[in-house]
Amino acid sequence: MQVIETIDSQVKLQEVFSTKSGSVSQCDKENCWYIDFAGKVSRFDYRCLLLLKKAVYNIDIEALLLKNAKSADIEIVFICASDHFYVLSTLEIIALKELLQGTFTMLELNHIIQDRLYRLAV
Amino acid sequence: MKDIMRAKCLISAEIESLINQQIRKEAQSSAIYLAMASWCDRNGFDNSAAYFFKQSDEERHHQLKFFKYILDMGGTSISPDITGLKIEYNSFREIFEDALDQEISVTQSIKSIAARCHKEQDYVTLEFLNWFFKEQREEEYKARRALELFEIIGEQGTGHWEIDKHIGKIHYGTEA
Repeated sequence: MQVIETIDSQVKLQEVFSTKSGSVSQCDKENCWYIDFAGKVSRFDYRCLLLLKKAVYNIDIEALLLKNAKSADIEIVFICASDHFYVLSTLEIIALKELLQGTFTMLELNHIIQDRLYRLAV
Repeated sequence: MKDIMRAKCLISAEIESLINQQIRKEAQSSAIYLAMASWCDRNGFDNSAAYFFKQSDEERHHQLKFFKYILDMGGTSISPDITGLKIEYNSFREIFEDALDQEISVTQSIKSIAARCHKEQDYVTLEFLNWFFKEQREEEYKARRALELFEIIGEQGTGHWEIDKHIGKIHYGTEA
């Protein structure tokens, strides 16, 4: 996995997953993830990342696509007890969902690798 | 890269979701038994009402056990909302038939969690579930015995009175 040097050289970020529209990186030192999406970088801890996943996965994309109303094509993704929220168009929601799905798959893969290679071998 | 997800939570998201579904099921069972207790009380079956009040308490206890397990493992327990309960029954017998169905469905659902645990090699949760399997043995036994009273005693004459008298005496004592 690619190691990204940040402005603060003490904080090393490792890219977990990226798409054309954004990327997710993990910071081992702070036990958190940085999501670079929709023009901003936001920091998410374990609880907030799970809440974001739940909020995005619960959006009914099919219903959004079929919606005939004249209201604006935006959705507000609000995460309780977090400093961040996203105001996204339907296409951005699809992109964020893709980014999160990839991220959680990679985290699961990392878990399997840790289990098989390190925890059992030590 | 550190495995932060695993450090924060012992159980997988799938197991957590299945146990949360089980919490809902146990809460629903507890509410159903309460509705049954209400019907029995209204219709003069005091012993059966007491039996269902006790069953309702037990189901609530099971619900809390699952609830606390998820929290202890680092997950998120969800307090369920229960709606659409049946409050009227066509007969005294129907209540006990529904009670047995309910227990069978709970056993089945715990079995499906165990199947998932085997798949994921989650032996920690599997060990936790063992207590519930033992409990379900007793629950199903009691529900089946109650229903059998209708066959043995019969519903004619003072049959219902006799059945109600024996409901409170059902006891599972053959611990294997």
